[in-house]
Amino acid sequence: MDDAAVILDGVSRRAGGVQILHDVTLGFAAGRFNVILGPNGAGKSTLIRIAAGHIARLEHGTVSYWDAPLDTFEADALARRRAVLSQQIEMAFPLAVEDVVMMGRYPHYRGVPSARDREIVREALALVEMTERRHQLYPTLSGGERQKTQLARVLAQVWQEEGTLEQTVLFLDEPTASLDLHFQLQLLATARTFLRRGATIVASLHDLNLAFDFGDRFFVMEGGRLVHQADAPEDMPKELIERVWRVKADPIAAGGRTRWYFRV
Amino acid sequence: MTDRSFTLILIGLLVLALIASMAIGAFLFSPAQMFRFAGERLGWLAPNPAEALDGNVFFVLRLPRVVLCGLTGATLGLSGAVMQGLFRNPIVEPGLAGTSAGAALGAASVFVLGTQYMNFLSPLGTAAVPLMAFAGAFAATMFVWKLSTRFHHTNVFTLLLAGIAVNAMCSAGTGFLSYIARDPQARSIAFWNLGTFTTADWHRTTIVAVVFVACLAPMLRHGKSLNALMLGEENAGYLGIDPEKLIFRLLLINTAMVAAATAMVGVIAFVGLVVPHLLRLMRASDYNFLLPASALLGALLMEVIDVVARVIIAPAELPIGIITALIGAPFFLWILFRQRWGRLDG
Repeated sequence: MDDAAVILDGVSRRAGGVQILHDVTLGFAAGRFNVILGPNGAGKSTLIRIAAGHIARLEHGTVSYWDAPLDTFEADALARRRAVLSQQIEMAFPLAVEDVVMMGRYPHYRGVPSARDREIVREALALVEMTERRHQLYPTLSGGERQKTQLARVLAQVWQEEGTLEQTVLFLDEPTASLDLHFQLQLLATARTFLRRGATIVASLHDLNLAFDFGDRFFVMEGGRLVHQADAPEDMPKELIERVWRVKADPIAAGGRTRWYFRV
Repeated sequence: MTDRSFTLILIGLLVLALIASMAIGAFLFSPAQMFRFAGERLGWLAPNPAEALDGNVFFVLRLPRVVLCGLTGATLGLSGAVMQGLFRNPIVEPGLAGTSAGAALGAASVFVLGTQYMNFLSPLGTAAVPLMAFAGAFAATMFVWKLSTRFHHTNVFTLLLAGIAVNAMCSAGTGFLSYIARDPQARSIAFWNLGTFTTADWHRTTIVAVVFVACLAPMLRHGKSLNALMLGEENAGYLGIDPEKLIFRLLLINTAMVAAATAMVGVIAFVGLVVPHLLRLMRASDYNFLLPASALLGALLMEVIDVVARVIIAPAELPIGIITALIGAPFFLWILFRQRWGRLDG
């Protein structure tokens, strides 16, 4: 775990009388695309909320970023280096797309945004191909466009030049849920380009084949426990997949790589 | 049109409304006359004895009323915008969330019980009314907030019901006080339930002005935070904002502002509802724009309504709350039905 950007050590979580996480210890590899896998209710979202600092009071365990405990970071300082894309964000009031993306720059300025902040918002919008819709009101967008807008917002939050030395962390909580195929691939590919900008990515995904296409490290959760870690898709045994997801899995060769075909 | 030019237009319209509101009423003053009064007061012009009475009417009755009216409108508009942002719901305003009714009850308790039963307030002097109004308003608002917001999400129906219940309790309290009160107090309370600017004087206006100015600056600094809160408390937290601290702080400032105005002019409903909503329809919900613009449009609307209240049944005057309710209640129903049917894409 010496190259880990974020380390969880002995993290447990109980809520509403249910043990959601049992003694989870892991390190998300710095500069890599880390993927959290697991069936519904395995504790993936809770794990991300704890790692991202939303659930701060833990009964057991610690979270640290770059070897410093999470609670030693000032709120603004942490927000400049850690962003989170949640599942489907609804907004009660109409706001233009570019104003939503500008929120990602809020931790970076006081009062009025700088010319650089505006430039970053423009670049983030271009990256997710939403430039032409920048004046449109958020509630009038389709589900996919909303998710792209939110992605642009979190990218703007941890925006760095390519080849930067400063490290950031980008959490994506089931970012592809309810997106069509094109949006799913585009979103993950766009996020991946941020590895070159100093980002460590931590994403929870349901689709194993999609995860194997984009991920570098794999963490398998089951019933609140970390049951397996893998550095490559080849290190994910058939027996594990079939047990954890309760499916029959057959390997198929596609594009020179091994992928899985699932049946119940 | 940019937000900046839109705001400048609002400022221009507000200046026109202020001049009209100063000129129109039981006494008509021409702009030239008002300039002469101002010149005389500032010592630039020699006093004209023939106009001494007019000058007094203008400075003692008209001007404080116009200023108080503008401040109250700005307070209610701003408060509506802030409360809608905090509850993340377009139907919230100080009248609905119990803030105004709580303030009225607090203020009425001092009026009626003050000298006899609430001796502990006597060291506060004239500050007792706004302070008790603040206490009542804060208790009522927090009650509605706690009841309607569970697991960081505001339920519209609980919010409406909690608002109705708290408003009913507060009006029952105010009604009881006016029942046991001796006659002159009772009449002032009854009138005051509908809001009125007829009692405006420089003393009241100064209190409202001081509180408004003190609250305005911290409010306007929270545009970014209120925008971020639209993403929900969790996502606002990821942007470095502490939502609980933010909500508590803004509810506190908001209550202070509304309580001061309500203690002086009574309950004026629906202004806080209509103003931010009109701005959202015309522009968008960017709080950096919405906060100052709501204050400006609130003041503008209130001046226009007050002129109407002054002239429509002249020489008598209509309580201003009647007009705001007449305009605001249908508006409220319209927003509610739009929300009920899930079409909030306005």
